[in-house]
Amino acid sequence: MQHVRVLRRQVVSTVAAAILMGAGWAGAAFGFQEAPELKALTDAGKLPPVEKRLPKEPLVLTPLESVGTYGGTWRTATFGGGDSEIERSIGYTRLVRWNPEWTEVIPDIARSVEVNDNATEYTFTLREGTRWSDGEPFTADDLVWWNENVLRNTKITPAAPDWLTAGGETVKVEKLADNKVVFKFAAPNGLFLMNMATVRGSDILAAAPAHYLKQFHKDFNPDGIDALVKAAGATDWVQLFNNKIGFPGRWRDLGRPTLDAWVLTAPYNGTTQVVAERNPYYAKVDTSGNQLPYFDSITIDVMQDTQAIILKAISGEIDMQNRFIETTDARTVIVQNQQKGGYGLFIARPAWSNALLITLNQTHKNPALRAVFSNKDFRIGLSYAINREELNQLIYAGQAKPYQAAPREGTALYDEKMATQYLEYNVDLANQYLDKAGLTKKDGEGYRLGQDGKRITFAIDALTGSPIQVDALELIQRYWRAVGIDMQPRPAERSLIFSRLQNNDNDGLGWVGGGGYDFLGLLDPKWYFPHEYESSFATAWGLYYQNPKDPNAQEPSPAAKKQMDLYRQVQEAPTLEKQLEAMKELLAITRDEFYVIGTNLEPDRVGIVKTNMHNVPKVIPSTSFYMTPGPAKPETFYYQQ
Amino acid sequence: MAGFIIRRLLYMIPMMFAISVVTFIIIQLPPGDFLTAMTARLASQNETIDPGVIAGLRERYGLDQPWTVQYWKWISGILLHGDFGQSLDWNKPVSELIWARMGLTMVVSVTTLLFVWAVAFPIGIYSAVRQYSLGDYFATFFGFLGLAIPNFLLALVLMFVSAQYFGQSVGGLFSPLYINAAWSWAKLGDLISHMWIPVVVLGTGATAALIRIMRANLLDELNKPYVDMARARGLSEIRLLLKYPVRVALNPFVSTVGWVLPHLVSGSVVVSIVLSLPITGPLLLNALFAQDMYLAGTFILLMSMLTLIGTLISDLLLAWLDSRIRNG
Repeated sequence: MQHVRVLRRQVVSTVAAAILMGAGWAGAAFGFQEAPELKALTDAGKLPPVEKRLPKEPLVLTPLESVGTYGGTWRTATFGGGDSEIERSIGYTRLVRWNPEWTEVIPDIARSVEVNDNATEYTFTLREGTRWSDGEPFTADDLVWWNENVLRNTKITPAAPDWLTAGGETVKVEKLADNKVVFKFAAPNGLFLMNMATVRGSDILAAAPAHYLKQFHKDFNPDGIDALVKAAGATDWVQLFNNKIGFPGRWRDLGRPTLDAWVLTAPYNGTTQVVAERNPYYAKVDTSGNQLPYFDSITIDVMQDTQAIILKAISGEIDMQNRFIETTDARTVIVQNQQKGGYGLFIARPAWSNALLITLNQTHKNPALRAVFSNKDFRIGLSYAINREELNQLIYAGQAKPYQAAPREGTALYDEKMATQYLEYNVDLANQYLDKAGLTKKDGEGYRLGQDGKRITFAIDALTGSPIQVDALELIQRYWRAVGIDMQPRPAERSLIFSRLQNNDNDGLGWVGGGGYDFLGLLDPKWYFPHEYESSFATAWGLYYQNPKDPNAQEPSPAAKKQMDLYRQVQEAPTLEKQLEAMKELLAITRDEFYVIGTNLEPDRVGIVKTNMHNVPKVIPSTSFYMTPGPAKPETFYYQQ
Repeated sequence: MAGFIIRRLLYMIPMMFAISVVTFIIIQLPPGDFLTAMTARLASQNETIDPGVIAGLRERYGLDQPWTVQYWKWISGILLHGDFGQSLDWNKPVSELIWARMGLTMVVSVTTLLFVWAVAFPIGIYSAVRQYSLGDYFATFFGFLGLAIPNFLLALVLMFVSAQYFGQSVGGLFSPLYINAAWSWAKLGDLISHMWIPVVVLGTGATAALIRIMRANLLDELNKPYVDMARARGLSEIRLLLKYPVRVALNPFVSTVGWVLPHLVSGSVVVSIVLSLPITGPLLLNALFAQDMYLAGTFILLMSMLTLIGTLISDLLLAWLDSRIRNG
């Protein structure tokens, strides 16, 4: 239960206390070292000396194994078309970030942050002397500029994202000093820092370099903007501006100042290769005072096919990566080719909990199906009817274990009963529960009949892009036929699945189950209570939670309503301890309601890392919420010479 | 003849209009819109996007308006300003996206076409002239093999072979060293060393088909009296072959030249995806998946136009090739 201890430790009991403290640089007297290329530029007078480029007290990162040496390129690959790999590998820089173990939020570019006792005010202290990659200072004014001219400009941001609003109002940023700002919310927003640590946080710093962005903003460049819009071929200045700050547009802009470890030199055009080189102004150092990052550059090959990425990996053309090569079907070939590809393995632990969860839409438009799906005995019966051990052997090569859609073991939210209830494979018990659900009549072929006297038949949608889940569903179809239930797996393209969800036209869904790690459960609770239309076990209730006036929304059950209240408590609680407390209460209801049927725990996956690359953790959580591998500190990775 | 061409060109205008409407309707047919597709893509990667942001974007992109309004916005831009609209997925002008990939697309497609012709015609002629010979059986066998093997599979196998045994980098048209380099002789050499895979993969199917067509057509012609007649006049066998029966046998081939042009642009989508080629095929497929309607629409419009122009060209070529058509 190591995990829980770490979580508890970071919770400071006094309210209004600084929950995060930056590590100060005590060794300034030693002086700083820099990469040989930068040293040459400094000596030639083309760059200011390293002390002038770094903040007064730079963030000191402790390397996982050892202090590294400069040099080398980190080669990775991504899948074309708006994939987040580039944001995860190069772009994981924000005011606060996840720690590598994913148990707390720690300072990144900000030196520290203090939260007031009702989670409405967040005061960030910046590091004095932090500079953008073009050498301009990064100060409180940048954040205020972003807030006033980007976030709260309704032309550029027609609707502010939820995590930056509370009580119906967009956050206000006020300057307290050159290196101090306060984010003020109209109502409590307890999940603000966690949200900032996810993919969402990138948007703030990307839109903050005022000295650069002013030229693209009509309010600041009324005369020159039209020429710039025309030159860029944009429809209007708003589009041009959004291209400079939004994803993935900002990765096509070579002139953009950043605070990242590497700065773009070949843009993300969607087909070939992205290149980024060391940022001479990067504000972090290692424990010996060496300016980070160690790698000279990073390249991301943009591929159109995942098989080609796997082939690249086994022929040694990828240095460290887990995404796209961690799928169960690629595992054998990745493991077998370690020697040839010159790489070892690390564990990429899926943050989602379940390899395949099955939802049945309790808010179905068809009353007969709705009645059946809402019956807990029906769902329990179906759960007992699944032979999870056989699924494990046939589909997951014995790597998975039977598990419900519940938090992973070792997390603060883990609930043993929730994870293990109704897992047993027992056809008799399944039949008993289905009989108890009132489905005693059968037709000539042995299928059970609903209240309306018609055979209960329904489809489970699954992604055509996830053939493993489709295979598993076909096995489950057989198990359920044995207890008289007619289920059809229906592989479909994802847009089709989603528009069915939006219109509450879905019978059921087979999907990976989220919420394995604590923070994922807190931030994306869609499988734990009806949170949005993606909560496909009660789509219409989820729509209700987002907007009660939605034409497809339905009044939720009392239990679901209670959960909605509890989640509001989670959002408003100022400390992680209280958030987890409310979340546990919410999860107890999830356990009792048994909304979704889980099958097996998603097995651990493997990523590859070159044998001479160091400081890479042995286990890295894998999900976009963690921004794998960003929080694992790629700026401290290095090659043994 | 000039009148014929002008008339044909005029007919193309309403045709293009009809195609553009149908194109747009087809693109709008799948459920949802660009933003649904985007949300779904993010969700399948375990990511989420704010519902509020989605609503704002829907308004911004005009996706909340009826398709007729969206169509008018698109087509009037093309007609009045030569502006093909903005790609929603890329936030870039559609024309820029397409042209950026057009150069390499043409290089790959034209090379493939030349490869196909260079291989298929001689073999086809040989197979017909030496029917049922060992060489004919050999060509037939490999021809059918070429037709039968799915292109994407061949692409994967060749890519594996080139990585495993020749130490070439996987996918794409360049080694990592040259991807972002300026053009030079070394880069050209690198391109050529990577090009054989897409050319062979894209070419095999077409080569096999063309060999069979050539062989069948030529066999039809070889036994006709005019061939005997020419032979009787003492023409050398090779000259006779090329001057008369081959020319006639080319007829069905030329009438399909019209389909070659759009193929040059769309390429073979699946193969270029497997091989990660930086050409237009993958862009089109992604546009369709993402429901990026202006980009996909422009692509389809462009290919329809090329089909029309190609058909015109093949009509003219046929007239030139075959006096019966010219005078008919």
